[in-house]
Amino acid sequence: MHPILKRRSRLFLYLAVWIVFGLLLTVVFIFGGRAPPLWSVYFAVPMAMLLGMQSLSFWYLVQSMPPGETPIVRMVVSWVGAGLASLIVWLVIGYMWAQYLLPDDVDITDEAAGILGLMIFAGAIGISLAVLGHYLAGAFERSRNAERRALELQVLAREAELKSLRAQLDPHFLFNSLNSVAALIGNDTAAARQMCFLMAQFFRKSLTLGREQAIPLSEEVGLAQTFLAIERVRFGERLRSKFDIAADVRDVVVPPLFLQPLVENAVHHGVAHLLEGGEVCVTARRREGFVELVVENPCDPDRPPSRGTGVGLANVRSRVETLCGHRASVDVSATDEKFRVSILLPYSGANAAELRATA
Amino acid sequence: MRVLIVDDETLARSILREHLARIPSVEIVGEAANGFEAVKLAEELNPELVFLDIQMPKLSGFEVLELLGERAPTVIFTTAYDEFALRAFEVHAVDYLLKPVEPARLAGAVERAAERLRSKTPAPSAHDLAVSARPPGRTLERILIRHEGRVHVLPLERIDFIEAQDDYLEFSCGGKRLRKQQTMTDLESQLDATRFVRIHRSFILNVERLARIDLYGKDSWLAILSDGSKLPMSRTGHAKLKELIG
Repeated sequence: MHPILKRRSRLFLYLAVWIVFGLLLTVVFIFGGRAPPLWSVYFAVPMAMLLGMQSLSFWYLVQSMPPGETPIVRMVVSWVGAGLASLIVWLVIGYMWAQYLLPDDVDITDEAAGILGLMIFAGAIGISLAVLGHYLAGAFERSRNAERRALELQVLAREAELKSLRAQLDPHFLFNSLNSVAALIGNDTAAARQMCFLMAQFFRKSLTLGREQAIPLSEEVGLAQTFLAIERVRFGERLRSKFDIAADVRDVVVPPLFLQPLVENAVHHGVAHLLEGGEVCVTARRREGFVELVVENPCDPDRPPSRGTGVGLANVRSRVETLCGHRASVDVSATDEKFRVSILLPYSGANAAELRATA
Repeated sequence: MRVLIVDDETLARSILREHLARIPSVEIVGEAANGFEAVKLAEELNPELVFLDIQMPKLSGFEVLELLGERAPTVIFTTAYDEFALRAFEVHAVDYLLKPVEPARLAGAVERAAERLRSKTPAPSAHDLAVSARPPGRTLERILIRHEGRVHVLPLERIDFIEAQDDYLEFSCGGKRLRKQQTMTDLESQLDATRFVRIHRSFILNVERLARIDLYGKDSWLAILSDGSKLPMSRTGHAKLKELIG
């Protein structure tokens, strides 16, 4: 939408500017062209307003040729062309307008010759000013848009962070853990204390890691291990875990909080449904140009279709893709008794070293 | 009061035990670590009150209550967090405790349970409770059946069709037949209507098992299943099925 036509007040202001231009033109005609005063007003003011209306179309040209992105030659050629065309249309209409205003017995060609030069000069100035004005308006509009977009992006990022925090603070996990602490205080104070430390460590880590763009794999593994240590207090012998992280992938950069939700799923949708419990296995190793991460857990063949796994996985998938693009992949395979998520990330040793240096 | 504690977490059981030990009227007769054990112990030990965790492996607290049926003792549910269950408890005025359990609330709940026992207030049906505790838009996912003393957990996708007999239902799955006391209408209302269609007064069909439909007579059809079995189909049943599979 045209910024001037968008609001009526803007259009009035715009026309007012052109009326002033018309009055200036009148003065020039009276003193420079020695035209009759009344005739000058009748002729010049409408002509100025016409030029203003014609100039409104320049906005679309400004839009189609944003400064800085268009070759200068093209811009100059286009503007000269458009300006000339506009000027010629204006002069033709002006000629007809003058003929209409003049008394029948006056020969227009004599009069026209006198003010043609003035008209061309005034028209050129008017058009140039209009083009400049439109460019200024365009720049203003663009900077406002950019500002708004930046704000929107910020809001989106915040939202994502909040969402990941909410996911982190799974109420089930929190309240059950607190229940365990309450139980331990009665008969094993040392263990209760240990549980408090673990919970503090887990929440602190997920808060700080959640703010990062990318973290070394070893940090993420540490978080998952803390999570499992807390859950082990609850589930006891039923929850077992095995980590097998190859030494050459420990420093690989990964999106934060991407392993932990998978381990959480493995516990809540897998091991928790088994009477005898089971083992959550996490392995990470290099495979050609990739790092392969696998989270595996046994599950109950009769389990009800779980709530929430889908969301957690979708979340992990989108985060992995944002960080690594389409070279990364998330693969899920579920059989009756086993659930397995494997993730391939491009191996970027250099990246890892850089991250370590800045950390 | 004879009390049974059911929770799959050792620590959750131990804190309940600890708090209950301070209430003189309470005698803890047993502890169960999962739903199957809970059903067994509830029948063997005949407790008057059960503390029942909702989220447990294999059988949820609601399912334990459903399996106990008429013989179910008074129940106090325990949960860390389950918004849908909590709403159901409020609706049906069932007592529940939030973990971590507060001793004062626990004592109050025990007192109310004793009051209920004395006045013999009828408990809300396990079935109603389970239905209202289900998240909106979700339908039944598995059927619990006690057959010849054993508990069967039957995922819906294993069921071929369901046939109504006198006052029970017979579930056919892969040639096996399991019986359950329930009415057709009650079951039908809980099933996902896009997967299970009542094709006849006494038959509900798993749509996935349908191989073809044969015309049998005027206004009557036969549903031929992929394993070859034939089920009668009424006019309205035929219309419903047609609408679903097009």
